[in-house]
Amino acid sequence: MSEMTGVERIQNILKRQPVDRIGVFEHFWGDTQKKWVAEGHIQPGESMEDHFGYDLQLCWPFNLVARLNFTPEVVEETDETQLVRDGNGALLRRHKLHDATPEHVDFLVQDRAAWEEHIKPFLTPDRARINFEAYREARRRAADAQRFFAWSGVNVFELMHPVCGHQHMLTGMLVDPDWIKDMTNTYTQLTLDLMDILFSEEGYPDGVWFYEDMGFKERPFVSLDMYREIIQPSHRRTVDYARAKGLPVIMHSCGYVAPLVPGIIEAGVDCLQVIEVKAGMDLLGLFRDFGDRLSFMGGMDVRVLYTNDRATINRELTAKIPEVKRNFGYVLHSDHSIPDQVDYESYRYFVQRGMELGNYR
Amino acid sequence: MSSIVETIAMCVERGKVNKTSPYPPDLKGQDGADELTAQALADKVPANDILTKGLMIGMGKVGGKFSRNEVFVPDLLMAAKAMTAAMKHLKPYFESGEAKHRGTFVVGTVQGDLHDIGKNLVSMVMEGGGFEVIDLGVDVSPEKFMKAVEEHPGCAVGLSALLTMTMVNMEKTVKLIKEKCPSTKILVGGAPLTEEFCRKIGADSYSPDPQGALDYLSTVYA
Repeated sequence: MSEMTGVERIQNILKRQPVDRIGVFEHFWGDTQKKWVAEGHIQPGESMEDHFGYDLQLCWPFNLVARLNFTPEVVEETDETQLVRDGNGALLRRHKLHDATPEHVDFLVQDRAAWEEHIKPFLTPDRARINFEAYREARRRAADAQRFFAWSGVNVFELMHPVCGHQHMLTGMLVDPDWIKDMTNTYTQLTLDLMDILFSEEGYPDGVWFYEDMGFKERPFVSLDMYREIIQPSHRRTVDYARAKGLPVIMHSCGYVAPLVPGIIEAGVDCLQVIEVKAGMDLLGLFRDFGDRLSFMGGMDVRVLYTNDRATINRELTAKIPEVKRNFGYVLHSDHSIPDQVDYESYRYFVQRGMELGNYR
Repeated sequence: MSSIVETIAMCVERGKVNKTSPYPPDLKGQDGADELTAQALADKVPANDILTKGLMIGMGKVGGKFSRNEVFVPDLLMAAKAMTAAMKHLKPYFESGEAKHRGTFVVGTVQGDLHDIGKNLVSMVMEGGGFEVIDLGVDVSPEKFMKAVEEHPGCAVGLSALLTMTMVNMEKTVKLIKEKCPSTKILVGGAPLTEEFCRKIGADSYSPDPQGALDYLSTVYA
């Protein structure tokens, strides 16, 4: 088989059809690229996609915050952190010196009434929510490099908790499920309306990528039954929309979501990313149980990478790639993001060795 | 017929907070942990019995179900809400000494880390398990943990971390506490943690879930 372009390769991988090699893609913590640029490995302004020859390129062009014109308000500031009220009325504490998940301090919306007053009326398909220029430029760059170009954004689980917090969202699923369903329906409709506007003016991507963190350490946040009742209808609608336009769908979830995988497959998702090993996800087990119906991206334990030991990295790759490449449905990626403890040379080796093991020719 | 204390345990286990709460649907319109605890105290049921035979039993049952993946985070949160509604009635009895905590649990997310969901879940389960919880919040320095240990003699400490980069601060915290107060039991948890890391840094217990942490402390404070 001759060498494929990134577009051809990922299209086939998502259908588990023959390819020349496995795919390759990655996410990085923001500090990592800064460090590698400072060390001279990456040129300032050079993209990771170009540098490492990735097969995919993403663009996140939507802003779904409720109050678009709201300037985030700094409520409190220390040398290391900032407490900020955002356009969803959420009060979040963020670290200034490094990447970190924010502390959820308070939420204006804690029930249906607050949602209906403070958020829902503002969630209209305003053109100002779309970064047309970023989408156009990323699409052009991906086309020039023959990379698979995916619209990326969050789906309903990841849209609701920034508004009301995990605790109110999750208890709301029991106490007032109709409120949560109203939120999922509202965000789904808004996403589809904005996609209609963007795609009709700028053209379609090659695929759609939804970020949707539904798990944590060794557990999903909700049961498969609750997923099916409350979340899956939105996943079905958004996936059906994409697939009706010939666009395959990749879904990202951090945490342990293995019990939800049957529901994710029912929703029509083509590929599951990121298979977080430290949360309990098992790439080989998922491949064994669902590899005939689902492609995978990720599942390489990032803790192995920050040993910066080539033999250890090689063991991780050798243990997994020969197995999961068997049906052509795998893209090399860490199990989350590359932190700055990983040396540039270690990551370079990870990609090179992964491509050697993942070659079908 | 079940006693009022057993009914309180059932309300906590099933997340029945109060009469106005529509959840769970089959108990709609009935008294919840809030009203029943007030009623039990009015009926002269000892506060400590309400704690140990009602609230702790209910939280223990839901915590066990959570560990076995029979219920999920929403159910655990509702149980914690029910327990909190009951605990507000017991507060004066803790202050007078009529009801007693099993021990004190100092908990926080380590320095550099702002994640709080896991820490909050552990705090809820520990409180439901009969422990006084001193929540130091997030981004807590080793010195602040140490100060809390000195202020609460005999306490156990829980350290949470989400980020791999902050695990080093967990190690520093364990080292400081163990140097100054070696008998303090230290529990660790969080996404990147393992039993191996727990042993390496000299902490006493690692658990992937809140009930495991409570089970460990229950043996320490037996």
